[in-house]
Amino acid sequence: MDITLSEDQTLIARTALSFAKSALKAERIRELETSENGFDAAVWRQMVEMGWAGAVFPAEYGGSDFSLFELALIVAALGQGAVPSPVFSTVVEAGLLLLDAGSPAQRSHWLPRIADGRSIMTTAIVEPGGGLLPEEIRTRVAQTGSSFRVSGTKLFVRDAGVAEVIVCLGRSGENPADLTLVLIPADTVGVRRRRLWAAGGEALWEVIFDEVTVATEAVVGRPGQAWPHVERLLLRGAALKSAELVGIGQAALDLTVEYAKTRVQFGRPIGSFQGVQHHCTEMYRDLTVSRLLAWQAAARLGAGRPADREVAMAKAKTGEAIPALTRTAHQIHGAIAYYRDYPLEIYYHRAIAAAAAYGDAGHHRRGLARLLHEDIARFQGDHRHELPVHYV
Amino acid sequence: MNLDLTPEEAAFRAEVRAFLERELTPDVWRAHRDLSEQGMWTADFTKAFRRKLGAAGYIGMGWPREYGGGGRSRVYQAIFWDEMEYHRAPGLDRSITYVPSALLALGSEEQKKRLLPGVMRGELSWFVGYSEPEAGSDLANLKTRAVEDGDDFIITGQKSFSSEAHMADYGWVAVRTDPAMSKHRGLSLFIVDMKSPGVVITKHPTLAGWTHHAVYFDQVRVPRSMMVGELHEGWKVVMGAIDFERAALASHGLIGFQLDRLLAWCGKERDGAPRRLDDPLVRDELVRLAIEGEGARLMTYWLASLHARGLMPQHETSLAVLVKRETARRFDVAGLDLLGAFGPLRAGSPWAPLDGEVEVEYRDRLYFQFAAGGFDITRNVVAQRGLGLPR
Repeated sequence: MDITLSEDQTLIARTALSFAKSALKAERIRELETSENGFDAAVWRQMVEMGWAGAVFPAEYGGSDFSLFELALIVAALGQGAVPSPVFSTVVEAGLLLLDAGSPAQRSHWLPRIADGRSIMTTAIVEPGGGLLPEEIRTRVAQTGSSFRVSGTKLFVRDAGVAEVIVCLGRSGENPADLTLVLIPADTVGVRRRRLWAAGGEALWEVIFDEVTVATEAVVGRPGQAWPHVERLLLRGAALKSAELVGIGQAALDLTVEYAKTRVQFGRPIGSFQGVQHHCTEMYRDLTVSRLLAWQAAARLGAGRPADREVAMAKAKTGEAIPALTRTAHQIHGAIAYYRDYPLEIYYHRAIAAAAAYGDAGHHRRGLARLLHEDIARFQGDHRHELPVHYV
Repeated sequence: MNLDLTPEEAAFRAEVRAFLERELTPDVWRAHRDLSEQGMWTADFTKAFRRKLGAAGYIGMGWPREYGGGGRSRVYQAIFWDEMEYHRAPGLDRSITYVPSALLALGSEEQKKRLLPGVMRGELSWFVGYSEPEAGSDLANLKTRAVEDGDDFIITGQKSFSSEAHMADYGWVAVRTDPAMSKHRGLSLFIVDMKSPGVVITKHPTLAGWTHHAVYFDQVRVPRSMMVGELHEGWKVVMGAIDFERAALASHGLIGFQLDRLLAWCGKERDGAPRRLDDPLVRDELVRLAIEGEGARLMTYWLASLHARGLMPQHETSLAVLVKRETARRFDVAGLDLLGAFGPLRAGSPWAPLDGEVEVEYRDRLYFQFAAGGFDITRNVVAQRGLGLPR
């Protein structure tokens, strides 16, 4: 057991943080929050050049064979620097979905294009009626001869404004899990998009597929067998949003501690007051626990081990604790941070956006409650003890 | 980053588990459990059990081999503490954790040669003489005096809240050697033989049901050779030693036990009532507890990992103790709630659930909130030492 970063991992985290902190000025971050595409193309190009777009892909596709854990370190740094990027849409969602479910032809076509920055891709899973559970999917994917016809409305589609292709999940049969993934070029006739304007500025879209027709080669994985792949996508998303939340929390804590050390009232820095010190320690406590849970989730997923319990715990904790941390941060700052030219508000908004993505805290607690009902041993996890005999 | 035990660590854990299951059978539990003692086991059994721990090589496993230690990494120590707490075994306290570690780090060669072998064999019990009526959170306010007299010092004063003083062979006692010096200076640390003439111990019943003690020193003579560190530099010894105390307190095994006991309780139908686990609100509460428990577990092993890498965590240790103790208290409260109308029934009462353990612990562990650096003092320590906020 060694719950510390290796030298290589420390280097990755440091490099990513120093990039993330200097990549964008605060005014540019705010400008991007209201821009159609949400991220800075030049910054994304720099990230691609550093190898981050293909980091988790195998070398044969132009990647660096990093695990999801290393990507989590990078994502946490991007969260801390408030750097928007298409890393979730293109890598965490579409790229790794193709690696997981795609045909050899799909992988060797698309993954190198992601790794070298030529293509931005995304996935369309969630709908107005939900989408974290298979029975909630209503979008139809009907096979008609040598083509598929796709109809339905998708929400919260990341980076749909610039994505070259959208991998869409739809229902291909009446069984709850009878779902199919198809790869749809974004410029196909019948694809319509509307930008959603969410706190934190992430480029989320409504995408309507209106009788869209694609060839049968567009199917990703086996027809009717999509859900296990989507489940893994959602787990990856939740684990990496937990990591992003840890970065957001660290930024908010750093700003707060710095402010508490330098803001003088009643003739003393406010950080010398016990009331303020206790708040700061609570923030630091929750952040530390959040980070350990997020590390565990990403490390298990990265090692290809069952991680539903660990991911749910990480997202349930970070999804509540980090937004709460940003509220306390504002409380300590007072009015100054209520003004938009003070950087804290960036994190205040991003925390709720990240908390809502890939299942909020309640969703993940519900999953854990289901596990508790069905399989107590798995609920207790790999490190469980054996209760002494007189309790059983 | 390796979140799993190595095969060697896993084998060690299995060995400790087997040891504890063998030693703490239901019969042993019935025979030696004693709610009138602080550790909830009879003093004799605690002492006998400590000797068994010594014989099994579990005391000082992380210490250097030259002092008879096992030279093993702190991860092993964390595993051992974890299992001991989970099984609620007796003897995991200052006598084998805090005092020996402090003695090893801060004691003279003579003190180490004389005392450590007995510690390693589990033969010695200790009490820590820091707190006084006027020196609690403000420890440097202590008034007990030691006056130099040739090669000896003569100690006079009072120590309070003195855990296990009644069964101690030695005291690890902070005293004032120079009242003229400023508050944090002029203190010294002595190892006091508790059989010395002039040591008087009084009893104080606690709300938890066990009896605590205070120690009076009436002109107790202690040789200079039993002074730890330099004369008037006792504050450094106290502060240096407190990190060892906190490290031992951060173990998460207790929380794992609390969760498993609640899960077992909630998973059974009782007297026609439905399983508590079938209530979605109960499941949500258990899920929330389990997440906090997992966080505490990771904190424990994170801390052990930092130690194992030689990174010497300091405020991280205080933070881990805070997380462990707050989480354990959360379990205490939730446990009582989940037992509903039966929760307040005390040990020995008809219908007392789980032998009244949850109610006993709800009372007993109130001390988590104030002892060895209470929650609020710990928050100050972490804010100042960890986050660099001004005093």
